[in-house]
Amino acid sequence: MHEAGLCVSLVELAERHADAAGAARIVSVGVAVGDLSGVVPEALALAFPLCAAGTRADGAALRIERIAGRDFLLRDLEVE
Amino acid sequence: MCGVCGCGSDAPVAHEVVHAHRHAGHGARRLEVEASLLAHNRAHAEQLAERLAARGIDAIGLVGGPGAGKTALLEATLGRLGADAAREAVVEGDCATDYDARRVAAKGARVVQVATGSLCHLDAHLVGHALASLDLDGVRRVWIENVGNLVCPAAFPCGERRRVALVSVPEGDDKPEKYPALFAGVDLLVISKSDLLPHVDFDVARCIDGARRVSAGLPALVLSARTGEGLGAWLDWVGR
Ligand SMILES: Nc1nc2c(ncn2[C@@H]2O[C@H](COP(=O)(O)OP(=O)(O)OP(=O)(O)O)[C@@H](O)[C@H]2O)c(=O)[nH]1
Ligand SMILES: [Mg+2]
Ligand SMILES: [Zn+2]
Repeated sequence: MHEAGLCVSLVELAERHADAAGAARIVSVGVAVGDLSGVVPEALALAFPLCAAGTRADGAALRIERIAGRDFLLRDLEVE
Repeated sequence: MCGVCGCGSDAPVAHEVVHAHRHAGHGARRLEVEASLLAHNRAHAEQLAERLAARGIDAIGLVGGPGAGKTALLEATLGRLGADAAREAVVEGDCATDYDARRVAAKGARVVQVATGSLCHLDAHLVGHALASLDLDGVRRVWIENVGNLVCPAAFPCGERRRVALVSVPEGDDKPEKYPALFAGVDLLVISKSDLLPHVDFDVARCIDGARRVSAGLPALVLSARTGEGLGAWLDWVGR
C-alpha cells in the first residue's frame, strides 16, 4: 500500500500548480491511473481526503480516470 | 445540477469518490497539468543507473513474491562466483530484520540491508542512499533484492539496468497472469525451485506464456538454487 505516499506527492504537486496560477483553493483534482501503474484507484480514493486535509486541496473532489499503461498522472485541477 | 448533493453547479465534477466535497463556484477555473507522479522516482532511478554505469558497475534487480527464492538464488550465485563474490554488492529490501543481509554476507558479498518498515517496496531514492553506505571500489555488480511483493515494485524502478522476476514453483503457474504489471516491466523470468516440479501441478509453459502475454519475447529460465539445476544458464545471463 503505497497510495498514501503517492497521495502526499499528488497533493504537493497540485498545490504547486495552484500556487503558480495564483489560486486560493483547489476544488477538484483530476488524475489518470494506468492499469499497469501499481496504483489502486480505490486505495487512492481512500487516502486522498486524508492527505488533502489541512492543505489548499482540503475537501477537494478526486476525479479518477482509468487509462492503459504504467503511468500515474496529475491531469488537471479545478481551482478558484 | 449535481446529482449527488444538488448544489446546482454545472462544473464537471465526477463522483467516483463518494464523500463530502466542495463544488466549483463561479470563480472556478480549470488548470491543465498533465504531470507524471511516478516521474520523480523514475528520474532518481535513471540517475542512479547512470552513476553505476559510469563506474562500470552492472545492476540487477530481483523481484518476486515473499519467499520466491530471491535470496537463495543470490546465495547460490555468490557460491558459484567463489572469491569473486567479494566484488558483488547487494542491497537487501525487507520490511523488517537483517536475516537476508546476513545470509548474503556469509557468502562473501558486500551487503546493506534496508528495513522498509511498512513500505511495501524499494524505490530508487532508498537504494541510492543504501548504496552510499557501501564501499563500491572494485565492485562489478550491484544486486537489488526488492521487498517480497508482486504488486508495488512494478511502479518503482530502483536504478537497476536489468530486472528479474522470480516465480517459484509452489506459488503456482498463474502468477504472471494475475500480476501482469510486474511481469510487464522485467527483462527475465526465472521459474525457481524447479526441484519441486514433481510435487506440485505447475505448468512451466503456461507460466512462461502468461508472462509473454504482457512482455512479448521475455526470456525465461527454469532453475533450482537447491540442486543447482539451471544455474549455468542463469550465470550466462548474468554475465560471469
Ligand atoms: N526446494 C527449494 N526450496 C527453496 C529453493 N530456493 C529457496 N527455497 C526455500 O524457499 C524459502 C524462501 O527462500 P528465500 O530465498 O528466503 O526467498 P526470498 O524470495 O528471498 O524471500 P523474501 O526475501 O522473504 O521475500 C526458504 O525456505 C528456502 O530454503 C529451491 O531452489 N528449492
Ligand atoms: Mg529474501
Ligand atoms: Zn503497496
